[in-house]
Amino acid sequence: MTDPALVRSSAAAPWGAAADERVRPAGARKRRRQLWSYLFVVPAVLGMGFGFVFPLVTVVRNSFYAGSFYKLSFVGFDNYRFIFGDDVFIRSLTNNFRLLLTVPFMTIVALLVAVILNDGIRGWKVYRSSIFLPYILPAAGIGLTFSVFLQFNGGLNTFLRSVGLSSIAADWLGSQTWAIWSVGGVVVWQQLGFGVVVFLAALLSLPPEVTEAARIDGASWWQLQTKIHVPQIRTAIEFFMVTEAITVLSWVFTYVYVLTLGGPGNSSSVMEFYIWKNGFAQGSVGLANAAAVVVLLIASVLIAIYLRLRARPDAGARL
Amino acid sequence: MRIRSRKAIYGLAAGVAAVSLALSGCTASSDTPVASTSPSAATQGDDPENAALTYWYWGESDAPGANDWMKARIADYQTAHPGVTINFVEQSTDTLIGAFSTTAQTKSGPDIATQWATIPVLSQAWAGAIAPISDYVPASETDNWIGTQENTDKGKIWGVPLYVIGIPLAYNKDLFTKAGIANGPTTFDELISDCGALKAAGISPVGMGNKDGYFGAWFFSNFGKQQLDDVSELKSAIVGTNNIADPKYTGFYQAMYDMKQKGCLNDDIGSVTLDQGMAKFEQGKAAMAWGTDGLVTKWSKALGADKIGVVKTPVWGTGKLASVYNTTQSSTAFITSWSQHPKAAAQFLTFLHSPENQASWYAATGIFPADTRFDQTAIQTDLAKQLWAFDSSPGAVWLENYLPPSVDGDGDLAAGQVITSGGSVADAVSTFQKAVEKWRATNTDEVKNYTAWAGQ
Repeated sequence: MTDPALVRSSAAAPWGAAADERVRPAGARKRRRQLWSYLFVVPAVLGMGFGFVFPLVTVVRNSFYAGSFYKLSFVGFDNYRFIFGDDVFIRSLTNNFRLLLTVPFMTIVALLVAVILNDGIRGWKVYRSSIFLPYILPAAGIGLTFSVFLQFNGGLNTFLRSVGLSSIAADWLGSQTWAIWSVGGVVVWQQLGFGVVVFLAALLSLPPEVTEAARIDGASWWQLQTKIHVPQIRTAIEFFMVTEAITVLSWVFTYVYVLTLGGPGNSSSVMEFYIWKNGFAQGSVGLANAAAVVVLLIASVLIAIYLRLRARPDAGARL
Repeated sequence: MRIRSRKAIYGLAAGVAAVSLALSGCTASSDTPVASTSPSAATQGDDPENAALTYWYWGESDAPGANDWMKARIADYQTAHPGVTINFVEQSTDTLIGAFSTTAQTKSGPDIATQWATIPVLSQAWAGAIAPISDYVPASETDNWIGTQENTDKGKIWGVPLYVIGIPLAYNKDLFTKAGIANGPTTFDELISDCGALKAAGISPVGMGNKDGYFGAWFFSNFGKQQLDDVSELKSAIVGTNNIADPKYTGFYQAMYDMKQKGCLNDDIGSVTLDQGMAKFEQGKAAMAWGTDGLVTKWSKALGADKIGVVKTPVWGTGKLASVYNTTQSSTAFITSWSQHPKAAAQFLTFLHSPENQASWYAATGIFPADTRFDQTAIQTDLAKQLWAFDSSPGAVWLENYLPPSVDGDGDLAAGQVITSGGSVADAVSTFQKAVEKWRATNTDEVKNYTAWAGQ
C-alpha cells in the first residue's frame, strides 16, 4: 500500500523524480527528506551566524588583544587580569549587583499593585495604564527628565525643603553615595509597570473556580493572595525576575549615561558604561571586550537559572 | 531534552572558543597599522575642483555661532567651486573622540574631521588615521597659523587651527560692588577672600558645573600648570619618569578642595553640567565663572559689556607657568588618511583662513581666528581688547591637551568629581594616578609614541 504522505511528497516534487522516490530504500528517502529540511533553515542559520555568532566570536577574540582598533596585539589573558585589578571595573561590577537589589523590590511592589488591581477596584484599567506608561517612554527622555528633577536644587529637593524635610534633601546625582541608587530608583520607576502588567495578565488568566472554592472554604483576602493566586503565577514571577535581572545587568547604560555619566568619580559606573567608555571613548578595545565577556558570562548564568526553573516538572506554563 | 540542551550549549561554547583561538592566531594582519599617512595611489587623481567631502565638525560649545558660520562658509565655497560639495555633520562633545575612533577602524567616514588639539589629534595621527596637513599646504601659508606647535610631531603639522580661545575668570561687577569688592581676584588668597565677602552678602560666588567632569578638567589646566616650570615636566610624569602623584602635579586638588570647603563653588556643582553651571553667571545668579572667550562675549551681551570684568586665573602656584595664560586652539580640523580628496580638503581648510573668513568668524563668534594675519582693528570693545591681550600673551598653554584621552577621562575628569562630590584630596590624587597607570599598562603603542614625542 502506498504511503499517502509519500504520494503527496512525490507529486509535489519539482524535479520530476517521483518514480525514483518509490524505488529507493526507506532509509535513503528519510535521509534525503532530512537534508531538505536542513536546507530550508540554512538562510536562518546564516542570518543567526552573522548576527550573533560572528559578533560573539569577535568579542571573545578581541578580549585577548590590547591596543586600539588600528593596531591590536595579542596579550593572552592580560586584559582579564587587568580588569579584575581595576577599581573602576570592580566598582562597575559591584554597582550592577547593587542594582540587582532593585529586582526583588520591584517584584514585591509590582505584585502588590497587581493583586490590588486584580480585585477589580474602581478604575483599575486607568491605574494599570498609568502605571504602565513609564515603561513605554524612551529611556533617554526619562533620564533627561530625572537628571533635572534630581539635581541638588531640582524638583525633588525643592519639594522636600518646602515640606520641612531639608535634612533628607541629598545631592542625588552629585554624591558618590547616592548616584547609583538614584539610577536604581529611576529604573524601578520605569520598569515597575512592566511587572504590574505581566502579573496582572497572569492573575486575570487564573481559572475562577479555584478562587471561588477557596472563598467558599472561608479563605481570607490575604490567604487568597498568598495561598491561591501568587503560587499559581509563579512562572510569571520567575520570568519577570530573570528578565529584570538581565535588564539591570546589561540594559541600564542609557540611564547611567544620561543621569550621571558614570560619575561622580566613576562611582555610578556600571559594566555597560565601563565597556562603552573603554571601547569607544578611550579606544581600549581589549579591556572593553574582556569586560563584555564577563557580562556575557554573568547574563548566561542568569539565563541558565531561568531555563532550569522553566524545565522543572512542576513549572507552570501560563505565561 | 535537558541533556540535549546542555550538549548544545557545550557545543556552542566549544565552537566559540575554538573559532576564537583560531582567529587569535591570526595576528600578522592585526599587528600592522591599517591606515597610511602619506598620499596614496588612490588619491593621485584627487581633483580639488571636483570632490564630494564630508566634514565632521565640532565647535559650537566653544564658540556659540560656530555652526552657522561654518555652514555659511561651506555654502560660499560650494558657490565658488561648483564641482565641490561638502556635507556638514555636527559632532557632539561626549562622543567626539569615540565616534571618530570607531569610524577610523573601518577606514571610511569623513574627509575632514575634528578632535581636540595635541594628544587627541596626535594619538589619531600615531594610529595612522590622519594625513598631515603640511603635506598639502605650503609653509608660506601654515607659518601664519597660530598654535601649529600643538599638533606638530616628527616635523609635520597634523591639523589646522581655526581659532584660539582663552579661559578667563569673568566676574560680575555689580555683584562685586554689592559685596564691597573693587576688582577681580589676581591671587588664590584673594579669590578665597572674595568668596567669603560674596557669601556674606548672600551672593553665590562661583557658578560652575562638574557633573560631566569639565570643571575639573578646566581646573587642571588653570591651576595644574601653576607648579610647573615647563610642560615637559608633566610629559615626564605621564610616561613615568617623574612621580605623577607628587604634589607638583596633583597638588592643585588641594586648591580645589579648599574652594569647595570655603563655599566658593555653587552647592549643586556636582549635579549640573559645566554649561548649566556657567549659565548661573549669565543669569546673574553667580558672581564669577570661568568661560571661553566666546562664552564671555555671549555673557557680555546678556549682562552688558560694562558689567563684566575678566582676569587671568588667580595665581596659586610657584612654578614659571603660574602666571602664564591658558590659551589653546581647542579643536583642530584635519584630513583623514583614507580621504580620496585630500587636496580638495586642504584647499577648503585653507579657504577658511582667508581674510574675509577670519573677519566673518570673529564677527559671528567673538573668538579670535588662529591666524597672525587677523585684522586686529576689528577688535573694538574694551572687553575684547582685554581678551586679545590675554590670548596673545607669550607662552600660553592649555595643560589638558597633553593628557592622553583615557587619562583625561578616567583621571582628570573623574578626580575633579571626587573633590566636588565631597571626597578627599588623597582619593582624587589616587584616582588620577590609577588612570595614568592604567594608560601605561594597556596602551603600549600609544605610550611608545607619546614617549618618543615627549622626548623631542
